Amino acid sequence: MFSSIRNRSGRGVVIVAALGVAALSLSACGPETVAPEGSADADMLQAPTESAPSGEITIWDRSGDLFEVFEGVIAEFNKKYPDITVNHEAVDIDAKLQNTLITGTDVPDGVFLDDAKISSFTDFLWNLTDVLAPYVDDIAPQKVAVNTSDGSIYGVPFDLDPGLLYYNATALEGAGIDATTIETYDDLLDAARAYKEFKPDAGPIHLEKAPFLAQLQLEMYANQLGTSLGDDEGGIRLDGTEYTEVLTFLDTVSREGLGTRAEYLDPTDIGELENGNQVFYPWAIWFSFAPQQLLPETSGDWRAMQLPAWEAGGARGGAMGGSSFVLPKEGANSELAWLFYEFLMFDEAGYSAVWGPNAVYPDGLNTSIPSYLPAADPTNPLFGPVEALGGQDLWAEATTAGAEIPAAGPIPTWWIGAVDYLGNNMQRMLDGDMTPEDVQTQSTEEIQTNLIDRQ
Amino acid sequence: MTTIPAAHSAVAPRRRITASRTRRRLAPYLFVLPFVALFLAFSVYPLIYTFRLSFTSWRGVGAAEWVGWDNYTYLLTSPQFWASLGNSAVLWLLIIPIQMVVGVITAVLLNSVMLKGRAIYRIAFIVPFVTPLVAVAQIWVVLFDQNYGAINAALGAVGIPPIGWLTTSEWAKPTLALLFLWKTTGFIVIILLSGLQSIDSSLYEAASIDGASRARQLWSITVPLLRRTIMFAVVLQTLAVFQMFAEPFVVTQGGPYGSTTTAGFYLYNHITRADLGTGAANSFLLVILVMALSLLFVRLLRAKD
Repeated sequence: MFSSIRNRSGRGVVIVAALGVAALSLSACGPETVAPEGSADADMLQAPTESAPSGEITIWDRSGDLFEVFEGVIAEFNKKYPDITVNHEAVDIDAKLQNTLITGTDVPDGVFLDDAKISSFTDFLWNLTDVLAPYVDDIAPQKVAVNTSDGSIYGVPFDLDPGLLYYNATALEGAGIDATTIETYDDLLDAARAYKEFKPDAGPIHLEKAPFLAQLQLEMYANQLGTSLGDDEGGIRLDGTEYTEVLTFLDTVSREGLGTRAEYLDPTDIGELENGNQVFYPWAIWFSFAPQQLLPETSGDWRAMQLPAWEAGGARGGAMGGSSFVLPKEGANSELAWLFYEFLMFDEAGYSAVWGPNAVYPDGLNTSIPSYLPAADPTNPLFGPVEALGGQDLWAEATTAGAEIPAAGPIPTWWIGAVDYLGNNMQRMLDGDMTPEDVQTQSTEEIQTNLIDRQ
Repeated sequence: MTTIPAAHSAVAPRRRITASRTRRRLAPYLFVLPFVALFLAFSVYPLIYTFRLSFTSWRGVGAAEWVGWDNYTYLLTSPQFWASLGNSAVLWLLIIPIQMVVGVITAVLLNSVMLKGRAIYRIAFIVPFVTPLVAVAQIWVVLFDQNYGAINAALGAVGIPPIGWLTTSEWAKPTLALLFLWKTTGFIVIILLSGLQSIDSSLYEAASIDGASRARQLWSITVPLLRRTIMFAVVLQTLAVFQMFAEPFVVTQGGPYGSTTTAGFYLYNHITRADLGTGAANSFLLVILVMALSLLFVRLLRAKD
């Protein structure tokens, strides 16, 4: 009996050992654990040379309005390239892209991607420096910068998202305040103080409560001053005086009770916008969506103007967010995907179809402007006046602001991770628990230790 | 007529017997082979691969640089890692005891023959469990908004000042726990109900004859005989709480100030930043913790037995 047990247990050991050996053998042939070969030139995408290129491309876009807009452009693209079939797919890019690129399975030819995420994927992407060379001088410098990593460009710049100062003109006029005279952030503080005096319950200036968006907005302010969180070498430069100035402004708004702290367009935010307590919203152009869709009570009362400058005569443009198109190296027909994006962004028929009147936006896509400067001509609007902004010519305002956006540094790979530190510390400052200098010192240390040093 | 040679006729049956024995011996292995193959491919291989990955700084491309214990020492000395475990532990305390007490009482009520329309109640309790979390989360955000939510409006009607349910570190965890309780208690009730139905009804009849009250029956018959089922539910929910990800992801994004960054959410942060080595190490630390907790519960159960 005992020998039988021993035999069985011995057999079990053998089986377990065999399974272990098999599993170890399997794990040894895991995906991509050796450095890929290839020179810098091998990573450089070249445009196709055929006169009538043909083939199929798979393009990933996130679902929603932009997917529908791009879907509508495919017919225009096929007028120029009839032999290229576009498989347009709505995909949760944040959830799928990383795994797809790592495994190399079913890799699309082109992907719509937030600018802030491009640097994280450059090892998997085509270097587009050569194909973009004919256009690069005509692309907004800020967009070229955010698509650049180690001197190479990895994304076809899509939209430029200039920051604008949205204001409730009707409410401000009721308080005897002429917002159009605001030229600097000091003027904005004065106008907010005056409005607060008129309406004591008001928190006139929006203070963002979501850490990610607060950091994005901080970058908009910093961009006006010609700086950004990451320097050209991927290091952090949060300790600069520009950030002290911006954080001090936000701290002043909070300490003086001049702000409404809410997450972008959450129920509190919408309520305070509708009841006239929150009348200044320094935000990217895409806030224009709110008066058009979410603010029925005050729709038509809102206007947009260029951001105030930090010093009189300073830049009144700063970028907030934005997206581009990237082309994975593992894509089957990347060079054809380049033709698609080249058409969309640099061909008049393409960018007119994107930003001009279409099935989704009958007056045109007015939540961003083209980053290709010939397409962003203030005198040649692609989208029409916005009724929710009192019929204002948002195109002229946004393209003028866009032209003032200074170039900044590239967006580093650790930028999104920094939200856990800088984004949260900004909220602690607005709670009154930290000073602007504390935010700079502590966030720099935390980002350096937890993100940069661990790359 | 064909004559079969004597030697051949003796060997053939022996061969048939040997072949039959071999088939019989092999049969069990062949039956389990599909499972073993799938288990190797989808459980053992990823586990070993992840373990190996936890000693590297791999970011999804290029050579996987061996960094030894660096990822583990980083995590074990990281305040954020311990804070995420602390958040999960607090959520566990807020969820599990309440869920088990409410679950047992509800299951007993639903098991009562005196309750009319039991089937409807049972379906009603399982509805939150099958409702998509994203839809529930949106309702939660609106209901618990500090300034415009229905909860604060109701509290305001009786003079209670508005509470920052989702915007303050003090209240975000209880609000998240409430969401988890609402969403999953129905499932626990169903498990407990199945346990209740296996208890012999003659025990209650005997207790009744002896004059035991309903409360006494609950405490002295139902709870002891349901102990194994309760422990199973506790282990199941402990795993769920420590792996909780979707709830904080859709409701609070781990905030405010990381107060709802659970162990599962913290792990997700490493993965999305392509810090796969640290993510793998974090996974293993979580596996060890959850296994230790499960063993502890099993030990407790055995000790009681």
